[in-house]
This record gives sequence, structure tokens and C-alpha cells, in this order.
Amino acid sequence: MNRNTRRKAQKYIILYAIVIVALVWTLFPVYWMVKSSFTPNELMYTAKPALIPQSWTTGHYKDLFQKTTFLKYIYNSLYVSLLSMLLCVSISIVGSYSLTRLRYRGRTFMSRAIIYTYLLPAAVLFIPMYVAVSRLGFNDNKNALLIVYPTIIVPYCCYMLMSYFRAIPKELEEAAMIDGCTSLQALFRVVLPIASPGIAVVSTFAFTMDWNEYLYALVLTTSPSQQTATIGIASFKFSDQAIWGLLMSSSVLASVPAVFLYFLAQKFLKTGLAAGGVK
Amino acid sequence: MHAETTRKYDRALGYALILPVAFVIFVVIGVPFVNAVYLSFTNKVVGMDPKFVGLDNYIHIFTDKEYWKVLKNTFIYTVSSVGFKLVIGIILAVVVNEPFFGRGFVRMALLIPWALSGMVVSITWRWMYDDTYGIINSLLMRWNLIDLPIPWTSGMSIALISVIIVNVWKGLPFFIFSLLGGLQTIDQQMYEAATIDGAGWLRQFFYITVPSIMPIISITVLLSTIWTFNNFESIWLITGGGPLHASAVVSTYTYEIAFQQNKMGQALAAAGSVIPILILMIVIYSRKVGTDQ
Repeated sequence: MNRNTRRKAQKYIILYAIVIVALVWTLFPVYWMVKSSFTPNELMYTAKPALIPQSWTTGHYKDLFQKTTFLKYIYNSLYVSLLSMLLCVSISIVGSYSLTRLRYRGRTFMSRAIIYTYLLPAAVLFIPMYVAVSRLGFNDNKNALLIVYPTIIVPYCCYMLMSYFRAIPKELEEAAMIDGCTSLQALFRVVLPIASPGIAVVSTFAFTMDWNEYLYALVLTTSPSQQTATIGIASFKFSDQAIWGLLMSSSVLASVPAVFLYFLAQKFLKTGLAAGGVK
Repeated sequence: MHAETTRKYDRALGYALILPVAFVIFVVIGVPFVNAVYLSFTNKVVGMDPKFVGLDNYIHIFTDKEYWKVLKNTFIYTVSSVGFKLVIGIILAVVVNEPFFGRGFVRMALLIPWALSGMVVSITWRWMYDDTYGIINSLLMRWNLIDLPIPWTSGMSIALISVIIVNVWKGLPFFIFSLLGGLQTIDQQMYEAATIDGAGWLRQFFYITVPSIMPIISITVLLSTIWTFNNFESIWLITGGGPLHASAVVSTYTYEIAFQQNKMGQALAAAGSVIPILILMIVIYSRKVGTDQ
């Protein structure tokens, strides 16, 4: 018995040791970003920056709003992310319903094409997309991102939504159809309400992916009036040396929506799982 | 008769509803993709009409020393990033699967890097890596672990390691949580039986845990390999692929050729040269996951 408790104690010592190392490793960069965003310049640019802040300032945040085009970048990000999310989720909902519930030739081929394009990275497509968008005359225009982002978001949404739809028992729609509903009515009256937690999660992730996207935004937009936050913030870097306060404060602000939605979605995901029995 | 019209209606509806998705996949991706294959055989530069040059771009790329260096970097970057993420990820997944005080908080905290954008992560690490004011060098020197600051982002031999560290930091949560999902499906009775038979935890780990989650391990590794292989922003923002391409990978190299040297045709040939590897991985993935209907 005694040996058993000692072994148990040993196990928990090792376990907590690993947990502490993992937490420091994960949280330190986040802490450093937030801490730097509130650190006055004279304390930031020293060879021995203090680990714990001695004094703090909101000056970097004020500069961000007064001296830079940060708000414009945030507006552009919101514009692109919201519109792209709405567009992509809508066409993915009807598409996924079609692929999981209706029978026609070419259905399996389509499902496979979706998985393939889901895995096809922007790093392969960004030059072709740039050439195509220039030819369409959408150079340096944030609306070009609305054309290009569906190529990333739609395969992802379909991939996720198809598994949600498959988990919904077909009997429910069949019952509705016996009562005289058409397939389309069954989608809107039966499937969508049940799948709504899943749709909320997928929308959240779609928004986050749009909000955080970098490569296409870098290639397709060049002037501050068109750039999104990911590009705009990173371009502060090259214009000034003592720029880290601005970079860190804008990074903190740009992270807030995505991180917030992410944790919201985690919660949704669980209730969705419990309520719908969705796997 | 009624059933027949319903079936016809459903078929027409099916095609109508899938049309927007099909448009995105076959037109918005397909047309530029096919055009790109054509342009890789031309001397396309921005703002000029392309002229057909046959295999010139490919010959140029394959005889270029820099290309092979970059390709080698890409493999080192991918294999070591994914390797570290897998090993650390399994350990942490096992740890957060154990019941202990504060587990919920720890799980949530470990997820944070995944929620941050690649840009934010890269800029933050770039700041911590800074030669003069970076906290990493500062701490290492305060603790007397090094005498001179390490040139994390500009050192020939260290730059690639620096970007690997960032990739592991950002990508670890994906491994922890997808492997954790696998661990939760393992039948606990197997461990009880093994304990009665006298198997220690190490044996249990290699004979029960690893084989049980093998399917999830392989899918996680495959997905992460595809994403890591094509990572752009963390390398671009931290080292810019430098110094002298010491940390350049295929994605940053093609960006450089296309947008700084303005040689679209060559860039497309370089990007296209890795597509076979990519397609191979995608095919393996879709075989493993299956297009289950």
C-alpha cells in the first residue's frame, strides 16, 4: 500500500513537471506579446528587459489609432472576412446537403474533389491566382480576396458540414416528406435547425481562417486602403526601427476576434455534440 | 409515377445546389491552375504577353544550385518540425488525458497558439528572437548559458532551426488535440488487463496506446506534413528565407522569383515541381480517410 502511494506521488510529480514546462513554453510568447504592447519604449529597448513589467503605458495603442492606418486594416479585414464567411457557408450548406442527401451521377466524384482541393495549399496556387486576378482587372483590390478565399474556405466548410449532415437521421426528413415537404423544404425546415450548432462552429472557423489568411492577401493587395490586418500590421515592420510597441499592440488587437470566436466555438462544439448526438 | 417525379426533382435539385461549389472548385481553382501549367512553359513576366519557351524554365530550375538547396531546406524543415510535433504531441496528449487538478485550464491554455494567426505568431517570435533587445538572448545571457547573443534570424546555421521552433510552437496544439481524441476512444479495460499481467507503463504505451491510435497518428502526421511543407508566412516574416537562402523553402523561394525577380514562368515551374509530392500525399490521405458515403 505504501509503495503504491509513493508510486502515485511520483507519477503526479512527473505529470505536473511536464504540465508546467508545457504551460511556460506555450504561454510565454503570448505573455511577452501582451507585456511588450504595454511597455514604454525606454524600458523596451534595453539589453536586459524586465520579465515583470515595472511600469506600463497605453501609448502604443493610442499611437495605433492616431498615427497609423490600423483602423482601416481592421475594417478591411472585417469586410472581407464577414462577406467571405457568409458567401462560403451559404454555398457550402446547399452543396453539402446535395452531396449527402440527393442522388445523382457525379456525386462521389464531387466529394472526392472537395477533399483534394481542401488539401491543395495556397503556396501552390498563389501565383496562378495572382495572374488570373490581374487579368480580370482586380489588381490591388480587396474584393479580389472575395473571389479567391472561397477556394480555401468552401472545401473546408463542405468537408465539415457533410459529416454533420450525415449524422442527422434520414428518418426525420422522410417523415417530413411523407407530410408533403419537398427535399428543399426538408433542408430548410428539418436539417438546418438540427444542424445549426454545427453550422455555427463551421462559420466561426471560416471567419477565423479568412481573418488570419496571409499569403493571398500579401500577393493580391498592395496599398493600405485595400490591405487586411495581417498584411497591414506586418508592413509596419519595415518602416521604422522602434516599431515593436506598435507591432505588439496591433497583434494583440488583431488576435482578439479570432481567439474569442475560437473559444466560443469550443463551447458550441460541445453543446452541439451533446444536443444533436453529432459526431 | 409520383416516386418517379420526386426522383427527377431531387436529381435536378442536387445539380442545382452543388453548382456553386462546383464552380469554385472547377472554375475558380481549375482555370488558373491549368493556365499556370501552360505559363510554366513560357517566359511570362508581369504586364507582358507570354512567349512559349518549351522546357527552358524547368531546365533552368533543375540546374540551379539554389533550387536544390531550397528543396533540401524544405525537407529538413518539414521532417524535423513534424517529428518534434509528433513526439511532444503524444507525450502531452497522454498527460492531459490523465485526470489532475486544473486539467480544463491546461487544455484550454495549450490550445492558444492554434487560435493565433501565423502573422501574429511570427511577429511575436521575431521580436523575442531580436539580436539586441530580444528576450531569448537576454535570458540566456543572464543565466550565463551563452556569452554572445545568438543571431537567431540572421545566422547561417541557426535561421532554419529558429523557424522550425516557431512551427513546432504553432502546430503542437493540433497534434495534442487530435491525438487526445484518439486516446479517449481506447478501452480502459485493456490497460487494466495489462496491469494485472504485470506490464509496466512503458510497455503499455508501446503495446496498447500507440497501436490503438495509429490510424489517427498517421492522418495527423499526413495533414501536418502537407501544411508544414507549404508554410509561407512564418518563414517569410521571421527570416525572409535568409541569410542567403539558408532558411528558404519552396514557397518563399517561388514568391521571391515571382514578385521580386519578376519571373512568373520560372516561379511557376519551381512551384509546379513539388506538385507531384503534394499529390502523392493527398492521394494517400484520401485513401486513409476514405470518401465514405
